Amino acid sequence: MTAEQFDTRYAVAPRFAGDPAARQRAELVVRQQLQHLAKLTHRPGNIGWFEKQVVGPLDQRQGTPLIGYFCNTIPVEVAYALGARPVQLGCGNPALVQPGEEVLSGEICPLAKSSFATFLTADGTPRKCAAVVIPTSCDAKKKLGEIVADFRPTFMLNLPPEQNTARYLRLAVAEVERMATFLADVLGRRLRRRDLLAAIELTRHRSVLVRRLQTARAANPAALSVRDFFIIIQASFAGADLTEWLHETTRVISEVEAAGPSHTHQRTPLILTGAPIFWPNFKPLNLIEECGADVVADTLCTGAQSCFDPVVCDEHSWSALWRALAQRYIFASPCPCFISQATRLSRILDLVAEFKAEGVVNYGLRLCPLFDMEVYRLSRILKERRIPFANMRTDYSLEDTEQLRVRLEAFLETVGAGT
Amino acid sequence: MICAGVDIGSTTTKVVLLQNGEVLAAVLAPSGNLPGRTATRLYTETLAQAGLSEKDVDAVATTGYGRRLADLGDLVMTEIKACAAGVLFRQAADNPIHTVIDVGGQDTKVLALDDQGEVEDFSMNDKCAAGTGRFLEMLAHKLELSYEDFVAEALRSETTIQMNATCAVFAESEVVGLLARNVPKCDIAAAAHQAIAARISSMVRRVSQRGAYYFVGGGARNAALVRALAEQLNQQLIVPPDAQFIVALGAALGARRKLEGRVEKR
Repeated sequence: MTAEQFDTRYAVAPRFAGDPAARQRAELVVRQQLQHLAKLTHRPGNIGWFEKQVVGPLDQRQGTPLIGYFCNTIPVEVAYALGARPVQLGCGNPALVQPGEEVLSGEICPLAKSSFATFLTADGTPRKCAAVVIPTSCDAKKKLGEIVADFRPTFMLNLPPEQNTARYLRLAVAEVERMATFLADVLGRRLRRRDLLAAIELTRHRSVLVRRLQTARAANPAALSVRDFFIIIQASFAGADLTEWLHETTRVISEVEAAGPSHTHQRTPLILTGAPIFWPNFKPLNLIEECGADVVADTLCTGAQSCFDPVVCDEHSWSALWRALAQRYIFASPCPCFISQATRLSRILDLVAEFKAEGVVNYGLRLCPLFDMEVYRLSRILKERRIPFANMRTDYSLEDTEQLRVRLEAFLETVGAGT
Repeated sequence: MICAGVDIGSTTTKVVLLQNGEVLAAVLAPSGNLPGRTATRLYTETLAQAGLSEKDVDAVATTGYGRRLADLGDLVMTEIKACAAGVLFRQAADNPIHTVIDVGGQDTKVLALDDQGEVEDFSMNDKCAAGTGRFLEMLAHKLELSYEDFVAEALRSETTIQMNATCAVFAESEVVGLLARNVPKCDIAAAAHQAIAARISSMVRRVSQRGAYYFVGGGARNAALVRALAEQLNQQLIVPPDAQFIVALGAALGARRKLEGRVEKR
């Protein structure tokens, strides 16, 4: 199956680099972010469980095989249905950018570099994965697929350039089906329809809980920090047992709902949009909350948006299931790798109205032209509608924290909420 | 009512004392390694200079990069807001300011002000020295000139040579190359000013294209930079005589506004 995509004549031996100093730095970054979060006043009683999932190492009880994947355009239900556990391989650790740079070029986005660095260590998550699935969601991912194919059996899911179902649905469905065949082959298992339906039900339940949590915290953002919200969401795709996750998240919802809506909240409600924010690179989230604002909703593929939409299938035929998965993961994706920005702009404007947000913050990841290019129209459209907009363009490093703080504080002053 | 504004910048700290719209004192000193301590000391010195004590001051506001390093005031505000307040206070009624350029040691900021003088939009340089006062200081050092001589040399030049200002470190290497080719120092100094002015003018056009243009901060004291920027923007720039104190002045006004708000509430 892999040979169809990657010409094995030019396979090269995977490269490994065991840099203990880099590992120590990476662990330090995680520790510091955990300490930072420990200072938050209102945290769910069971947040430790979620932190354990995102920090790792992965709990591989009962030998459940792992399927590594990138981005939010991969139908993970297929992995669940095959008895495997999907694990997002996107990495947010700033200390791993440098080891990634030792192999790849420096002019590649920090997300691709740090994620690739996790392939280089003997006990990194990718080494534990039976296979890796990568969508063609950007140039870096396209080439990363080819590179990591030498490390693990890899499948590249070809995305259409436009979210136009009339033109591309057939192609997208064929890709999802092809991925399912690949995973079934690698795992040596047969995909059964009832297992796929059960997996769809499982992730639908996750969407329900994420929506409930979103509603509860929008009514009272002080009851749950957006950083804890992101940890909870990211725990669900960091390889956690999803049934356990549903149980733990239900407990969080009870706590947040019990806090009730806030009537005295003085902080500025913002919508966060832009590039993915992965644990432990919470710099943008730390800054927003420290400057006195709250993220009440987001369009991030690593935030609430990632789990917001369930897979909707009215019929249970195989073709209907493939179609439903493609509709959810490809045609409803908020990724700027798709041509039309209109759906993403509409979503942001809807969120501003729905959550009575007073401004929009875009997190721009350096060296990611897709998000960067969209800022032009986004800023113009928001300006026309008199919605305050701030662009936080940065990378994983911490050296510009204070400069970003000035920008954000000044932005909040212009919104009228600063002191 | 006496109010104070303390602007703790990356290079210099400025204190302004304001009484009923009149500046009582305006003092400046290098921020040094311990900007918080410098600010406290400078504030005390300024009070002494004006024959006042801390008790005489009704409200203090701190601003600038070190705004949280000194525990002086009742109010902490960003330099963006303080700058806008200072400009609004200083502008002539018949020539309202819509674009403010603030070139500091570490940051360059451009503010777009609306008709009421409120900040409509703003931009700051990315995380590097290119486009800031530090860039010129580094190049002056490389040419073994004092900053004043570096500016004087630039004004003397009659030749235009091309230089980049995308990175301060690379610019230093470029200077080495130019010196090796026996390019006169005055032309290199002029090219450095042109390069930074081109960069700043791009920032200006990105944020605002509406006059009048106001130029503040330490950079506004550099005549060669004022000239180069005016040329690049093809606009007259208004440079107030106390360009470096506008932000501290705005902070003092912010302190006053907050105090007045508090009095009104009572």
